Amino acid sequence: MTAFTADRKNTDLKHDPGAVGYSSNALELFMEHFQQRPERKLLDVGPVCQENIRFFASRVKKLYVCDMFIRLDRCIRKGSPVDQIWEKLDYPPQSFDGILLWELADRLDDADVKRLVTLCHSLLRPGGMVMAVVLGDQPGSSGANAFVVGQNFRVYLRPQPHLHLPLRSRQNRDVLSMMAPFIPAKSFICRPGFMEFLFRRE
Amino acid sequence: MLKKNRKATAEPPAPPKPVPVDQKTIIGDQISIEGAIRGKEDLLIEGSVKGSIEVKAHRLTVGVKGQVEAEILAANVTVSGKLAGNINATGKVEITKEADFSGEIKARSISVEDGAYLKAVIEMDREPLNRVSPSGKPVEKTFSEPIKESLILADKGSKGN
Repeated sequence: MTAFTADRKNTDLKHDPGAVGYSSNALELFMEHFQQRPERKLLDVGPVCQENIRFFASRVKKLYVCDMFIRLDRCIRKGSPVDQIWEKLDYPPQSFDGILLWELADRLDDADVKRLVTLCHSLLRPGGMVMAVVLGDQPGSSGANAFVVGQNFRVYLRPQPHLHLPLRSRQNRDVLSMMAPFIPAKSFICRPGFMEFLFRRE
Repeated sequence: MLKKNRKATAEPPAPPKPVPVDQKTIIGDQISIEGAIRGKEDLLIEGSVKGSIEVKAHRLTVGVKGQVEAEILAANVTVSGKLAGNINATGKVEITKEADFSGEIKARSISVEDGAYLKAVIEMDREPLNRVSPSGKPVEKTFSEPIKESLILADKGSKGN
């Protein structure tokens, strides 16, 4: 079950040479599955970063990015109802073959997670896949991170100090329960308490 | 010394020569334009523009105060303000951290600063993998195989829970 320790070697990020990286098996599988899809339309809900745009845009037919983290942060700062952010995911049903949720669910309360999952289910084509990350009980790190994809599916966490979002730690069973409309495909423990999940739409 | 003084009194001071500047048009923050803009020089928008912008061989910059709703054709585009519309760039698109962009981007390369808001569809000119990138680094390198350790939740085709 234990998997990857922090690895400061092989860092290829200009911005944060000390960034912590890990090999993302979930992302590798996600992309393997995705490359077999005929349309190859991918949605990344953020935090959007340059490296990921380059990585994914070179591998997909069309890359859709919609930074829900910034939208959520703006809503919270203004004191507006969080459910306003969902109008930004106004794509037609069954638009995508894959959705990268990263840790968005960890930043939402249960009602909004439900809304997010329903939306994702609607936006995915049958057979499409969702990748989600759950931070679990990460001591002393509640700040939001960009999951910056490097070479060979190494992922580096880059802090996003401009985002002030609550962290709601969820466990394995919580994730399985909240993603109930999907078929659980795989999960990986990347670091203690840090999990990646793949879910598939029937 | 004497010559210099004499010259100063005899001739009126020459008008200041224009300082050479880069050819650039600026649409200031108090300006609002609706319609089509075409040009052959760089354009900086700090005001409000709605319509279409064509500066094929030049740079378009949407400044921090700029608010643009337009179809854009340019060589290079920098967005620091608010832009809703589609960008077609033959060169690079740069989105800075202050930017709020929604639309489509077609470009050879793109840079995005953390903190920028993007709702975008992105298509980049494709370069085959394993070719040398503009930075001189190979796009893909071979590292050691990652260790795979998975927890199987359910077999493919079967539904969990």
